[in-house]
Amino acid sequence: MYLFIASEIMLFGSFFTAYFFVRIVNGVPWPSPPYHLPVFVATVNTFILMTSSATMHWATTSIKRGNVWGMRAGLLLTFLMGLAFLIAQLYEYMRAGFNTSDGAFPTVFFCLTGLHSCHVFIGLAILAFMTIRAWRGHFTAEHHHGVEIGGIYWHFVDVMWIVVFTTVYIL
Amino acid sequence: MRNPLRSEEEAYRFLGVVIVGAAAIIAAAYVNTWLGLAVAVLAFVAIGWWLAHEPRA
Repeated sequence: MYLFIASEIMLFGSFFTAYFFVRIVNGVPWPSPPYHLPVFVATVNTFILMTSSATMHWATTSIKRGNVWGMRAGLLLTFLMGLAFLIAQLYEYMRAGFNTSDGAFPTVFFCLTGLHSCHVFIGLAILAFMTIRAWRGHFTAEHHHGVEIGGIYWHFVDVMWIVVFTTVYIL
Repeated sequence: MRNPLRSEEEAYRFLGVVIVGAAAIIAAAYVNTWLGLAVAVLAFVAIGWWLAHEPRA
């Protein structure tokens, strides 16, 4: 787990370094005109992702107490909210009005948010497997390691989004 | 140093701590950019201290 965290910190760290470099070179205001960031969609997305973390936690605590239906509902809701996040992110990309070929700012924006979206996509794949296994009755109050590991990954993805959202969209 | 992703419960708690830290940075940066930077440094130190001293769940 330590190796995973270290590799992820280095991966995101390299993209954040590029982001801060572009930002400092361009100076204020950020983003440099004529670009506008879709802050509203990103804010809604943030609430969706934070809620999905709560449902993920609900799923884990449910199976620890032996509540199989609580876990199933929690996992399904988490998956649906993760999917909604990814769809909203794609919608945001389509409506952004700029592309990677438009300069350093759009490139670093798409790289940073795209890297996070890739993590969400992987998380969705894990959630899909977890949900299928949950509906097949593979998890019990004693044996739920699969739910635990998936939950850790999902919370990690949410932590990274908080950092990306705060840095890119708000500050 | 404690691994914040040791278990699902701890990862969820860590997410809460990060949200609080981010909110503090945003609020401070809204007042003044340098204050935001100072709060960011403080938040990083505080989270690091918390990870180092947090009692096991």
